[in-house]
Amino acid sequence: MQFSILFAILASTYMMAIAKRLPTLIQSFRYQSFFLSLATFLAARHENSVELLCVSILLFLLKVIAIPHLLLRIVRRIKANENIGLFINTQLSLVCALVFTYVSWAFSRQTLPAAGETQSFMFTVALSVILTGGFLMIFRMKALTQIIGLLVMENGAFLLAALVSGGMPFFVEISIFFDVLISMIILGIFVYKINKLFTHIDVHKLTELKG
Amino acid sequence: MAYFLDSPISFLHDPLSLFFLAVIAVVALPAFVYSIGYLERYPRSKRIEGHILFAAFVLSMAAVVTLDHAFAFLVAWEIMSLTSYFLVLFERENELSIQAATIYVIMTHAGTAFLIAAFLMFYRFAGSFDFQAIKIACQTMPAQTKNIIFIFLLIGFGTKAGIVPLHIWLPYAHPQAPSHISSLMSGVMIKTAVYGILRFIITILGADTTWWGILIMILAAISCLVGIIYALMENNIKKLLAYSSIENMGIILFGVGACMFFLSKGWTMLAVLSLIAGLYHLINHAIFKGLLFLGSGSIYHATGTLNIEKQGGLIHRMPYTAGTFLVGSVAIAGLPPLNGFLSEWLTFQTFFLGATQGNGGIKVLFGLCAAILALTSGLAAACFVKAFGITFLGLPRSKHSQDAKKSPAAMKLGMLFLSILIFVFSFGACFIIRKLTSICGHITGINTDAMNFTVNNLTVTPWASKGIYLSTPAIAAVLSTIMLVAGSAIYFILCRRKNIIYNTWDCGYYKLGARNEYTATAYSKPFRILFSFFLLPHRRTKKIWESFYHVKSFSYETGTTSIFKKYAYKPFLNAIFGSAELIKRMQAGSIHIYIGYIFITIILLLIFKDRF
Repeated sequence: MQFSILFAILASTYMMAIAKRLPTLIQSFRYQSFFLSLATFLAARHENSVELLCVSILLFLLKVIAIPHLLLRIVRRIKANENIGLFINTQLSLVCALVFTYVSWAFSRQTLPAAGETQSFMFTVALSVILTGGFLMIFRMKALTQIIGLLVMENGAFLLAALVSGGMPFFVEISIFFDVLISMIILGIFVYKINKLFTHIDVHKLTELKG
Repeated sequence: MAYFLDSPISFLHDPLSLFFLAVIAVVALPAFVYSIGYLERYPRSKRIEGHILFAAFVLSMAAVVTLDHAFAFLVAWEIMSLTSYFLVLFERENELSIQAATIYVIMTHAGTAFLIAAFLMFYRFAGSFDFQAIKIACQTMPAQTKNIIFIFLLIGFGTKAGIVPLHIWLPYAHPQAPSHISSLMSGVMIKTAVYGILRFIITILGADTTWWGILIMILAAISCLVGIIYALMENNIKKLLAYSSIENMGIILFGVGACMFFLSKGWTMLAVLSLIAGLYHLINHAIFKGLLFLGSGSIYHATGTLNIEKQGGLIHRMPYTAGTFLVGSVAIAGLPPLNGFLSEWLTFQTFFLGATQGNGGIKVLFGLCAAILALTSGLAAACFVKAFGITFLGLPRSKHSQDAKKSPAAMKLGMLFLSILIFVFSFGACFIIRKLTSICGHITGINTDAMNFTVNNLTVTPWASKGIYLSTPAIAAVLSTIMLVAGSAIYFILCRRKNIIYNTWDCGYYKLGARNEYTATAYSKPFRILFSFFLLPHRRTKKIWESFYHVKSFSYETGTTSIFKKYAYKPFLNAIFGSAELIKRMQAGSIHIYIGYIFITIILLLIFKDRF
């Protein structure tokens, strides 16, 4: 069960790497968050922890429902071109994601040589999610992809924290959720403003302010 | 913060601090009175801003010289630097002000960086920023560390003091600040550096290494000569005064350096004497440089220009400013019987006594220092003849000086106070030297009860057994008698003849105008030639030909090159800007590349995590 959920998370990450259009990307993000909250929910059931349950519910509400909804609404409202603008085409992106997974696995063997199979697998998935999030931020043109990349990295960090320290303290977790929500709203407003000012949200064209 | 403020901050009230507080008060009071008149022409909001900044500036200086905690000292030091930065920026519409303030703030922060480094080294050894704790820790400090701390402190305070080659900000910043601020900056602020040297090097670090004093004396000698040579070349009156400040800081540091040298040798009497000379010159310079800057402000107020080539004949339009400026000039040029002469004479005496006491290289060192000081005083006299003569005497050289307006009463009052003080410090020398003896005894930790540098209340004697005496009142009496006799003789012999005879053929000399006058540039020409190896003068002439035979106009331009700017600061700045240009290539302006940098950094950190 645990393995299949982790595989699902990894699969949704690859889906993000090969997504060409914004709605697809957001949907994939929604799947990833959903599996993440499912994993948390199962862990909560397993450990009979109310706090974990709360976290999983919050995760579901925020990252599966609220944020993708908000993002999709921004996409609709700014009527931007739905292409996310690839610097690296989908095939190569997938190769990159696979390389990230491999590197993460090698790294997990190196850092946690004594860890069991589940743990090192979880570590690999978490790290490759983080790296792919960074990859999305770097190699996609539209400003919205930077937001999604950040959220993906946040998902990976959540997973990593869950693995390394058995999840962060409840209040830290809650405050991180609020941080994510607030930053999401702020970034959304920025994207909206950028679009209004420049009539596009192509980040690679915003080079006027260089020193 | 709590980490640094481990001990409660208290204020010092030992003689050293009180002396510097007195110096601050002596200049700040007339400067404030003066500023009431000076700031009149500014709008109300600007006036209020000026007064608030003035108050903050004076208070921060007072805090610098009284705080008993190295960290608090740094904070006060920084507030002092920043308030003076904003005061230099007072006329911020002016492009020059911005440039001057930028140079000033960069230089002063570079100096502060060295101070912070030195204080952190203190902290490493003492575990506290408290002066007393640091002093105790310094007794067991290795000599190597002491040397490094000394160098850092010297660079840090030297930047503020304007020691050559760290002087470049002075001639920029002083002319741009309002005049009463220039008088404070030049009269007091740069002296806080001397306070720092006395407090941190002599009393805390302990001047027991011989080369420290010698190094300070060499730097002082360079500062003296360079400062006065540049002052002599300068035609902007406030820049001239700023360069002269560098020279006078040199004279003060002569006293301080000699004191450190004598302390390391254990010659207590000479140590006290040289420090008296230094501190006496310090307060003298604060007074007359304060006065001269106020005077230059009056000139600016009256004529709207600081260029002395455009002045002339101001003595008829502003006799009051001319009189006080003359008193200040005589004092700063070191002419007897005024106070500048007295303190320079004392410095000379320490050199001579040091030369007789020491042997070999020490004799040569003190001999050279005395020679350089003599040359400096001569050049200073020439410099202030130029400053006073070109500005106040002769005929007006431009419309500006022709229409000079009188100064308000508040400005006059400030200048009057300082010129009276000059006389007080000239003729009350014995009382002041007695006070200074105990202050210097406290600073150097020498018992001065048995030391007496005065005979009665009129005569100063640095070394009674050698028969060295000086009495300013006596000199004044003799000089005034001579002047009275000579003046009346001239009057009776020459001036009683009423009919003036003109020559028939006098080669056109009967109708001289302002254009025939001696100019400031011409006056300094012999010195420009004499010091051409250092000043690197250049001239450019341009002829515009109307036809082959006739030159329509001819332009002539002359100037000097600052070797410090050309050979030290320019290459350094070019190196900085060059490397910045290289780094700028990284700044592609693309957000993707910036995120990429972060990403690559993270990956590298992950890969090499074991190395860190």
